[in-house]
Amino acid sequence: MRNLRTLAAMALAGALTTFGLAGCGGSDSASGGTPAPATSSSAATLTIKDPWVKAGPAGEMTAAFGTLVNDTGADVTITAAESPASPLELHEMTMKDGKMVMQPKEGGFVIKANGTHELAPGGDHLMLMKPAKAIEPGDEVTFTLKLADGSTVPFTAIAKPFVGAQESYDPGHMGSMAP
Amino acid sequence: MTSRRRLLAGGAAVAGLGVAGGAAVAATTGRDAPAPVAAAVALTTGTATVPFHGPRQAGIAEDPPAHASFVAFTLPAGADRRALARMMRLLTDDARRLTQGVPALGDTDATLAVLPARLTVTFGFGPGLYRAAGLEPPVTDLPTFKIDRLERRWSGGDLLLQICADDPLTVAHTQRMLIKDTRPFASVRWVQQGFRRSPGVQAPEHTQRNVLGQMDGTANPRGAEIEPAVWNQDGSTQLVVRRIRAEIETWDILAVADKENAVGRRLESGAPLSGTQERDEPDFAKLDASGLPAMPDFSHVTRARVTDPAMKILRRPYNYDGAPNAAGHPDSGLIFASYQRDIAQQYVPIQQRLADKDLLNEWITPIGSAVFAVPPGCDEDGWIGEQVLA
Amino acid sequence: MTRSRSVAVIVAAVAAVAVLAPAAPASAHAQLLSSVPAAGAALPEAPSVVTLRFSEDLNPEFTTVVLSNAAQQRIPAAPPVVAAATATVSVDGPLTAGAYTVAYRVVSKDGHTVQGSYGFTVGPPPSAAAAPSAVAAVSNDSGGIPAGLLISLAVLGAALIAAAAYFATSGRRPKRT
Repeated sequence: MRNLRTLAAMALAGALTTFGLAGCGGSDSASGGTPAPATSSSAATLTIKDPWVKAGPAGEMTAAFGTLVNDTGADVTITAAESPASPLELHEMTMKDGKMVMQPKEGGFVIKANGTHELAPGGDHLMLMKPAKAIEPGDEVTFTLKLADGSTVPFTAIAKPFVGAQESYDPGHMGSMAP
Repeated sequence: MTSRRRLLAGGAAVAGLGVAGGAAVAATTGRDAPAPVAAAVALTTGTATVPFHGPRQAGIAEDPPAHASFVAFTLPAGADRRALARMMRLLTDDARRLTQGVPALGDTDATLAVLPARLTVTFGFGPGLYRAAGLEPPVTDLPTFKIDRLERRWSGGDLLLQICADDPLTVAHTQRMLIKDTRPFASVRWVQQGFRRSPGVQAPEHTQRNVLGQMDGTANPRGAEIEPAVWNQDGSTQLVVRRIRAEIETWDILAVADKENAVGRRLESGAPLSGTQERDEPDFAKLDASGLPAMPDFSHVTRARVTDPAMKILRRPYNYDGAPNAAGHPDSGLIFASYQRDIAQQYVPIQQRLADKDLLNEWITPIGSAVFAVPPGCDEDGWIGEQVLA
Repeated sequence: MTRSRSVAVIVAAVAAVAVLAPAAPASAHAQLLSSVPAAGAALPEAPSVVTLRFSEDLNPEFTTVVLSNAAQQRIPAAPPVVAAATATVSVDGPLTAGAYTVAYRVVSKDGHTVQGSYGFTVGPPPSAAAAPSAVAAVSNDSGGIPAGLLISLAVLGAALIAAAAYFATSGRRPKRT
């Protein structure tokens, strides 16, 4: 799968231990992939494991997820993200007046040294504010993470139909099963 | 179960300390079973994996796990090749993760994914999928057989998932995740769930029994014999799935000899009626002492017989046992699944002979039927069906 | 030996049918009622067909009739032609003198397999002794068994079969629920 291959390319040398720490089986296909030419200008400082994006119709907000893995000895900050598919924002879910609400993440996502940071439904995520066209299940969408040091991390995410964590996220538009 | 068995064994041992005779009785009745199964042995069942990647799909040549779910889907009008490719990319991604004990992307119950228990997911394409993709289907629906009493709710299908594992919860979770990812593309047409003996109950090489008590699969190709029967050059194969209802109420009233005449094998040993051991080759020329053919002309084994290794089929059936009706009559039978290179060449002639004449037909009724082409496997960068749909 | 016993069983079976018929007209199993050649017949001329008549219509798919010789070798013959309760086998070539066995396997309407066999001989009887009855005529090569004994066996057999049939059918009554 292309996204897995991208993953492998980005993961480079540190990948195996990272996957091990993250609990992904050692037999994961990514570990066997041949690294493609590195596309990230920041070498192996940050990778994203198991990226995916929630499928949805054109013009409606949706989100991308995955596990950010920092295998360096210093904190890494993601300040922004880009995709040809849509304008993007870094979002978090937070309690406000007893309700979970979504809001832009002040200061971006900070991934601790040798740590991981989960982007998941109901939690932090990359918000696709207005996809130019429908993101169909099975589509592959490319993204670029921008780091505080000016480097970038590209990745490809597969689009999944998803109806989980609905109450806390984009109410009214989830559950659309249109292909 | 293990703990209970240990309890029993422990109890027997304690009794044995006090009353030697008691222990002896327990031993002879077999209740004081051999050493309790160690927990470590049982745990390997849950973590065992079958490789997903390869030139051929998994879930075919391996010994069948204990549980299976066959899920067939119907494509909507207007489904096109590009959508099918997207669907297969998604489903392949799910299958390659789940079969290795890794949660699917966006897995809402990731904790259920960690015990694959030899999970395999095998994909089959029905004739309708090829038509939707604008391609000539390599498989066509079976001819109508006079014994068929097919019901729409168990027949046909554009896409098939065969999900097998040694644990039913693993099958359930996998089925759930795969159906969720298929919903944007297709609707569920039918689901058939079946079972075989659980791991550890019998040595894997033992032939299983079906719900009629018959040994089922003695004549199956094994090992290297599978090769010429099942695999095409490109790693593809073809699958027949038939739901065969067992008429157990009327089967029950038969004497053992009647049942054996219908099958052509001894119920107890599985030996052909012309022989003494299960693996004995049936001798269709042999006359018994009364002058009758030892293998009845109309027995299932006689009629199903194939000698050419390339014309055999690989049967991979599962039993089913639904809820009985109010009168207590069972809803049981066989999810017949067979893999072969070419359904028309291999399966149809056998089934035609059986439909024409087979005493076992008096107690079995085909109520569902579907055919699927099974595309080759894929590697880490590919997806199942890529050769067909890309 | 085997043949004379099977002949006795056939005779017994026929007797049993005769005995049971009035009491159990709706017997669940197909029974051989009669045959040509008859059980135990000593035929001067070789028959070209063998015809068996049963107590219920036969299913041609599930009707086997096999003719074999004293060496237990199958005599080439076409598959039986079934008409209602009768199955007829045409022998491919002329039968030589000797002893023959007709074996049949049919399936009753309820699915039970019914099978049996009987013998007949073709050509001059091996021993010149006169045949006082059809049963005695089946005397085998080793000298024969007195007809009286055979008949006694037959009667005993009939009784046993009747008893067996009674228990078999009573045991197969619908289970209490």
